[in-house]
Amino acid sequence: MSHSDVVLGGHHVPAMEPSPFAVPAKKLAMWLFIISDIMTFAACLVAYGFLRNSTPNWPRPFQSSTIVSVMVMTFILVTSSLIMVLAVRAAKAGDKAGAVKYSMFTLVAGVIFAILHIREWMGMIAQGVTFYKNPWGTGLFGGAYFSVTGMELLHVIAGLIALLIVSLGYKSGRYSAGDIENCGLFWQFINIVWMFVVPLVYLMNVAS
Amino acid sequence: MTTTEAPSGFGKYLGIYVSMLLITVIEVVIAYQHPSGARLLVSMLLLAAIGAVLGVLYFMGLGSENHSSIVAFCVFTLFVLATINYGWTDSFRILFGAPFSK
Repeated sequence: MSHSDVVLGGHHVPAMEPSPFAVPAKKLAMWLFIISDIMTFAACLVAYGFLRNSTPNWPRPFQSSTIVSVMVMTFILVTSSLIMVLAVRAAKAGDKAGAVKYSMFTLVAGVIFAILHIREWMGMIAQGVTFYKNPWGTGLFGGAYFSVTGMELLHVIAGLIALLIVSLGYKSGRYSAGDIENCGLFWQFINIVWMFVVPLVYLMNVAS
Repeated sequence: MTTTEAPSGFGKYLGIYVSMLLITVIEVVIAYQHPSGARLLVSMLLLAAIGAVLGVLYFMGLGSENHSSIVAFCVFTLFVLATINYGWTDSFRILFGAPFSK
């Protein structure tokens, strides 16, 4: 009888139930968090879609320069996702140096994405866009734009902080390969959300 | 969500990466054709959904998890999305005063 077993009704049974779906507890928690986060983003995007479709003078302000900038941001974020896959694979293979190296590359790409994102915001603010008004049409545009893209930026910044802490902790032996994998799951989720933000927020509002 | 398959080559991930970038390029091309509102929305949602499914299955590794995990994730996510969309009925009521205006 192992230490983790207890005697119940004359039978030896494990003291703890096996994890549901044979998933490590932390990974299951991350998946459940992602599902709940889908709810947050879906709520934001549905609210945005409702406002966009129900407002007659909805602005379509995005010029080609903005779209090019968004394409560059997309390229950087999708590339960072691919690099994060490499980090997770290296961590699973026990290649600690490789996992940390790829995590740091992901981190750099994420920082560049965040800087470009903030630059994009600054450009919008310079054109007179606020939460309540803008030069082109309904004031709801600014609120919707900053809410949806702000949620994305908030997640990117949270992901960067988590990635920095976990990869440094993994290097020092404090965190395991599973923690790198969980961090990778969150980073991939950010990329997937961006796949919806780009067409719905930017491309549907391209200037004619 | 333990991995049940042997780790596969990097080429698969590179293919997904290129596909995701390609999807974004197609979205830009469609956006600059300025189709009607509904057609634009459906095209964008469809392409974004394809990109998201590729990301979830391969980059997040759901495709290589055990079957019950995939089913659980899909059911939970669909339930979440269905719940969110419950609000649309009330939105249409506010917009058009229907179907409860009379």
